[in-house]
Amino acid sequence: MSRWRPFRSELPPGRRRLLGIAAFLLPLLVWSLFSYVPWLWHPMIKVTEPAGVTWLRVDQLVPREDFAKLVEERRAADLAIPEGKRANPIFFQPPHAVARALYTAFTTKPVLRGDKWLHESLATSIKTIFWGFTISSLIGVPLGILCGAFASASRLTEPFVDFVRYMPAPAFGALMVAIFGIHLEPKIAIIVIGTFFQQVLVVANTVRRVDAGLLEAAATLGAKRRHLVLRVLLPASLPDLYNDLRILLGWAWTYLVVAEVVGVSSGITFFINQQAKYRNFDNVYAAIILIGIIGFTTDQVLGWLGRRLFAWKNPRPSRFRAFFGRLFAGREVLLFPDRPHRPAGGL
Amino acid sequence: MRFLRSALAALTATGLAASALLAAPLRVAYSDWPGWTALAIADQKGWWKEAGVDVQLLWFEYGPSMEAFTAGQVDAVTVTNGDGLVTAAGGAKNVAIMLTDYSNGNDMIVARPGINSIADLKGRKVGIEIGFVTHLLLLNGLQKAGLTEADVELVPTPTNQTPQVLASRQVDAIGAWQPNSGEALKAVPGSKAIYTSANQPGLIYDAVVVTPQSLATRRADWVKFISVWDRVVAHLANPDTREDGIRIMAARAGVDPKEYAAFLDGTRFLTLAEGHKIMSSTEEGFGSLAGSSRIADAFSVKNGVYATPQDIPSSFDASLVAEVLKKE
Repeated sequence: MSRWRPFRSELPPGRRRLLGIAAFLLPLLVWSLFSYVPWLWHPMIKVTEPAGVTWLRVDQLVPREDFAKLVEERRAADLAIPEGKRANPIFFQPPHAVARALYTAFTTKPVLRGDKWLHESLATSIKTIFWGFTISSLIGVPLGILCGAFASASRLTEPFVDFVRYMPAPAFGALMVAIFGIHLEPKIAIIVIGTFFQQVLVVANTVRRVDAGLLEAAATLGAKRRHLVLRVLLPASLPDLYNDLRILLGWAWTYLVVAEVVGVSSGITFFINQQAKYRNFDNVYAAIILIGIIGFTTDQVLGWLGRRLFAWKNPRPSRFRAFFGRLFAGREVLLFPDRPHRPAGGL
Repeated sequence: MRFLRSALAALTATGLAASALLAAPLRVAYSDWPGWTALAIADQKGWWKEAGVDVQLLWFEYGPSMEAFTAGQVDAVTVTNGDGLVTAAGGAKNVAIMLTDYSNGNDMIVARPGINSIADLKGRKVGIEIGFVTHLLLLNGLQKAGLTEADVELVPTPTNQTPQVLASRQVDAIGAWQPNSGEALKAVPGSKAIYTSANQPGLIYDAVVVTPQSLATRRADWVKFISVWDRVVAHLANPDTREDGIRIMAARAGVDPKEYAAFLDGTRFLTLAEGHKIMSSTEEGFGSLAGSSRIADAFSVKNGVYATPQDIPSSFDASLVAEVLKKE
């Protein structure tokens, strides 16, 4: 048993992979159970035979207790009894319906001239994220490093950044349209607003956590301030910064849906909103899962790259641990910016 | 000499900018309503090109389309006559140059089983988005039943959540437009539409409104824009081409054509001649655009949507439609 539950040490690679697959299969199993086992949940009745009840239609969904009441009334009045089978509400779609929707969404040719295939819409969304995140990082990372290195920069920047951080990015939609027009630009701007302010704080915090011993040693050896920043602080925090950016990229994705309703409808969000409006929930889930797959794949690729780029830092990295460690380490700093920071243990 | 040269350069620049402006396409923001997705037919068929005008249709959610118009990012937007006034009150003056349709049943008050008429609503709860057209529809229905707003309890509810709210039994009725109203009917077995926009034609007119500036500088292009509308209406009226028209509209909305066809019944398309009659009539009441807008204006002021009554006569201009009709 201890082979499956090693205490504070790594699992053998085979088991790691197995558990990783199970992490996906278990939710899928639960989803399937609720979808396909008729006595689990299924709070509705899908009508198969209206039996002359004026307001019943074939395939209509009726709450179970309402249906039972109706059957009782009909029985008491000695009338034909409507029939139906147990079903889930419309917003709970079974896995096969979502899989089918995913497939059809990709294979359906756009009907109108000038319309886009789903993969083209996705490309638009990815472009929005890419530029939003790139622009945010180009300003946010250097600023964050400055704040982490120099207390004066930190005091001049962080209180205001902390203030703006709480403002909801979507609220700036109308203003962004007025400034940047109606196409991709205002959407990118929303992503930047959503990412930038968090980014400055997270990067600054990571830079601050660089081992003071390294800086002292370099100073003793005669390093100037510029060298301390460029030759010590930066390389020492680089692996952590890389991981910060990975997490922030995920953050940027969560802003996509609010960014894309600004201006002209486009990208994957238009698909999600429009299908939700018409209650085609199989399509909605297909699109949401698609975003999940893209995000997860990107993250895996970046993680793989990171392990190779910063091999000295991550002999056997655990993303899960790193993520939560970073999350809570970050939280502490964001809540108590003036408290001296302990280096987070075990990371 | 230097002054002369820079003046000349400035002049050329303005000239270039002006000609670029003239050549630029008319930017029209539209959204998901059958009277407006029908514009996609003209676009797909290339009828505007035939008429000699370059039109760029831009697909929006309804709210963002008005935002883009207010921000001056588009030249025209499709709105209800009431929302045209709201947009004007918000600082973006606009002129309706044509009517596309009026709502003829797509806007509904849907009540739970057991409530069969507006009169039955006395003392009941109604889920409604305050200040929106469905609110106006409810007041209109109550008035006809001899009731007032005080006789019901309004529960502020976003329109897209009305199906769930009615299904949750927290309210006795809701007000919504398609597709939400249809979904509410489907979500609550035995529920029915006790009052719809078909009971009061003209309560909600749908229009294409343009900026006064664009109307002034590019009037001839807007006349061309309007000129194809009768072809669109005919395309949807003709049984041979109706299906093709619905296919285009449904594709724009991203749904199945069969599903979308149901919404056309609740939309009364207006030919240019019909629209012109409504726009030029000076009668009070819902038979004229002016009358309908005056009622919507009073309603909006009373419900605090905006503070000062809007100038109705300057909110539309029937002369462009008249010009098209005269040419024919």
